[in-house]
Amino acid sequence: MNYGHRLKFGTFITPSSRAPDEVVALAQRSEALGFDLVTFQDHPYQPALLDTWTLLSWVAGKTERIHLAANVLNVPLRAPAMLARSAASLDRLSNGRLDLALGAGYYWEAIRAMGGRKLTPGESVDALSEAIDIIRGMLDVASAHPLRYAGRHYLINGAQQGPVPARDIPIWLGAYKPRMLQLTGQKADGWVVTHSFLKDGDLKSAKRIIDEAALEAGRDPREVRRMLNISGTFSPGGDGLLDGPPARWVEGLLPLIVEDGVSTLILMTDDEPTMEQFTGEVMPALREAVNRELGSGWDTGEVRSTRVRAKRRAGLDYDALASSLAEIAVEPGDVEFVRVKSTYMRGGSPAIVFRASSTREVVEALAFARAHSHLPLAVRSGGHGISGRSTNDGGIVIDLSRMNAIDMLDQAARLVRIEAGARWMEVAAALEPYGWALSSGDYGGVGVGGLATAGGIGWLARQHGLTIDHLRAVEIVLADGAVVRANEQENADLFWAVRGAGANFGIVTAFEFEVDEVSDIGWAQLVFDASDIAGFLEDWGAVVEASPRDLTSFMMMGGPRRGQPIVAQVMAMVDSNDPETIINRLQPLANTAPLVDQNVVIVPYSYIMANAQGDDHDGRGEPTARSGLIRHITPEFAAAAERMLRTGAVYFFQIRSVGGAVADVAPDATAYAHRSANFSVTAFGVNRERFNALWEELYPHFEGLYLSFETDQRLERLHDAFPPATLERLRALKRRYDPDNVFRDNFNITGPTQRTGETSFETSTRNA
Amino acid sequence: MTDYGHDLLFGTFITPTAQPAMQAVELAVVSDRAGLDLVTFQDHPYQPRFYDTWTLLSYAAARTTNVRLAPNVINLPLRMPSIIARSAASLDLLSGGRVELGIGTGAFWDAIEAMGGRRLTPGQSIEALEEAITIIRDLWAADIRGGVRVSGEYYQVVGAKRGPAPAHPIGIWVGAYKPRLLGLTGRLGDGWLPSQAYLKGGIADLREMNQHIDEGALSVGREPSAVRRMLNISGRFSRAGAGFLDGMPKQWAEQLAAVTLEYGISAFILGAEDAGTIELFAAEVAPAVRELVAAERARQSV
Repeated sequence: MNYGHRLKFGTFITPSSRAPDEVVALAQRSEALGFDLVTFQDHPYQPALLDTWTLLSWVAGKTERIHLAANVLNVPLRAPAMLARSAASLDRLSNGRLDLALGAGYYWEAIRAMGGRKLTPGESVDALSEAIDIIRGMLDVASAHPLRYAGRHYLINGAQQGPVPARDIPIWLGAYKPRMLQLTGQKADGWVVTHSFLKDGDLKSAKRIIDEAALEAGRDPREVRRMLNISGTFSPGGDGLLDGPPARWVEGLLPLIVEDGVSTLILMTDDEPTMEQFTGEVMPALREAVNRELGSGWDTGEVRSTRVRAKRRAGLDYDALASSLAEIAVEPGDVEFVRVKSTYMRGGSPAIVFRASSTREVVEALAFARAHSHLPLAVRSGGHGISGRSTNDGGIVIDLSRMNAIDMLDQAARLVRIEAGARWMEVAAALEPYGWALSSGDYGGVGVGGLATAGGIGWLARQHGLTIDHLRAVEIVLADGAVVRANEQENADLFWAVRGAGANFGIVTAFEFEVDEVSDIGWAQLVFDASDIAGFLEDWGAVVEASPRDLTSFMMMGGPRRGQPIVAQVMAMVDSNDPETIINRLQPLANTAPLVDQNVVIVPYSYIMANAQGDDHDGRGEPTARSGLIRHITPEFAAAAERMLRTGAVYFFQIRSVGGAVADVAPDATAYAHRSANFSVTAFGVNRERFNALWEELYPHFEGLYLSFETDQRLERLHDAFPPATLERLRALKRRYDPDNVFRDNFNITGPTQRTGETSFETSTRNA
Repeated sequence: MTDYGHDLLFGTFITPTAQPAMQAVELAVVSDRAGLDLVTFQDHPYQPRFYDTWTLLSYAAARTTNVRLAPNVINLPLRMPSIIARSAASLDLLSGGRVELGIGTGAFWDAIEAMGGRRLTPGQSIEALEEAITIIRDLWAADIRGGVRVSGEYYQVVGAKRGPAPAHPIGIWVGAYKPRLLGLTGRLGDGWLPSQAYLKGGIADLREMNQHIDEGALSVGREPSAVRRMLNISGRFSRAGAGFLDGMPKQWAEQLAAVTLEYGISAFILGAEDAGTIELFAAEVAPAVRELVAAERARQSV
């Protein structure tokens, strides 16, 4: 019987310490020839061999694609907790290419000579079993408690799990005798043996023992991949199992795959011509023969382990996933889950995250989501959304971060196609060589998709407008799975809606922007003594409004801190590389209050955007943020803001200048309608109720809000975000493009008047 | 004034952080391209946010071409000396002789014990280090006949085969602060690798520490100059800094040259988390220190 695992091929190279360069060259050759895996034996007591772990790490740095494994690792000389850390490290560094093959040890005198402990064969199986538990425990980064393990051979007393590997590292065992075979069935993800060590019938009896042990342990025998180290010679006349012409090899290997369930063949050779003949003449012919023998569709793929399946959430039909979706899915039990469950500001625990790499995969994932319409659906580009709920609890997340291409469409027209998962720092870096830039926000880690469907209030806003003002077309997956293009000509109403309320209408997978010519820019970071908070706000606002458009400035303050002076951080970008112009623009700003610190540089725009740290998010809890758009910083508003700041209930307060080019666009030209505001005000509070009450004092001064910075769930916020005519038009379009309200978890525009109660703005977000 | 006359080395001390995934490797590559002599990573295997230092070091070695690499310093209690020896020799062979071995006794015993390591007293840990250094050196000595036999209190190696021999004589650099370990460094070490941040009395502490090393060396008939004195440093480049390594590159250079001439430090390893600082250190500080030190040494030899 075969287990449906895709066929894989590897090499087994002698890690000779006398010719390290040749060893590495053979590993690289293995990769070039199309092998899936390169392996090295591990005998740390043997000085004729290189240390295998060091070699694996080195080869990882010299290859790109091929998987790496010891064959097999000597556990008695490698402490399991350390091995787990090393394995996680190598897996992450190699981008998920480590397979962890372990052995119980065999040459006990040599092990003892090195300082290891001599064990009986029985003890060594127990020790290996403990080692597997410890390694799995150390790699269980989702665990809430440090690892404690009191075994007969190993004692771990509160070790912290981590680092996070790139993926679930499979553990394979080298096993021949019944107890080791049982252990394989109980705990391993793979079994690896050397063919020449086996007698007739051994494969069949081993298969039976492993399968039975797996079943007895409540596992699926398909969780264990079966691997065979093979060696032989290509000779025209030979007639052994692996001694003869390639056709004879194929004939000999076929039953091992079809009947004995072997799915990985590892060629033991240091001879390059043999490797070449194997990949050239055995591999393709063998694949063909297997397909012929087993019929198409035999290759059902890997099954997720019992451990992973145990953490599945109710309400989602995981088994209904097509294998193409299963491969891009991250489940709660997968080790990568810790990387994708939360976002920058928000903790989450979705039931499944699909990491789509193509529009086809987005469509497929969306179809799956539609079949689970009772679950929340989040769409994520960079995972920085504040209003945007790009994670959830128990729901589905479609993550676009792997769709991050940035392509030039038309250099003369400065037309660029950017996929939704690209981050703005990457966009800035890609445009810089052309002398171009596209104003986005203030942080390079933010993803393109969320921002470019909402607005985009960035460092060049007054000179160049909002990000959406540069949008010329989008490619969007609609609620029914249709993939359409929208621009001023084609689906023009959809194009209108996407620019300000895009999250309600579909999943934009790619954007076409007309970007701006931007030279190096002037960049100032000024810190002011803002003891007179209201006075400072008013003066700063007046200076910004009076400034030419080439200046855009953001102002930030925190809550008051005991014993520390109140300061305001002011950032300003001047769209000019002329020092005199820059100074002229900054001077009035600098005069607003006593300067505590200042720094002015002339740098490319991309330098300012290269400010993001990290690539994974681990946000906790729920942010509480409010947003308001305001025409002028009036004395009344400034006084109200000061009162709010002095309470200490607000830990972050920011005002961004808008106006200028933003106001050149007619309010009804895009779904983002509040064009006349000169400032966008945002604050983050600690206690939601108290903060909301304080915000009420500011509220009368506003004429709308920017939905990207608003977390309030109350229905009135919809009316703040969109003027009546805009909202009416959006709702009409919503009924046309998304009648079932599939896209509802991000500032849902469907009002409570909608027929189905659960789709109202308020209730839909309750489960978010 | 204690200048041991060594040529000067400049390097980086890079946090082996696992997040972002490639940050540590990228900074190693930056150090290599900037022409620095050394890339080093701390080794705290109980720290889950860090990569395993030996794995990272090996990977980074494969990604660089000229720079030498060393753990700074390797945590002995969680690693078997015989495996350290084979691993270091292997990486030295793979990298064309670019590996050095910083080593320490271990200090955070709760964490070491949590990982399955054995808790030792400070005194015991020094004895263990001495045994380990003997084992490591013996295993590297592939040209000597017979297996390695060290029947120690902490490590027993009973007839392990020698080899592989490293590609070059790997330096053993000891992280040491207290008199007894400094003495051991003088007796057995090729280098001394303390951190500025742990000098309670500031740079001036180096004087007395050097004396302990010198005495250790002399006690076994070695020249004090057999032990290279290194220093992990931290600082920031700023326009108008006031303190030690807080100012413009020129000011750094003057301060470091003074440390070389006054305390005999001949390797400065900068804790740095960004490419710009590393490049500035390599381009503006390192050559200036070399120049200042060379000029002063020439003046004194006249």
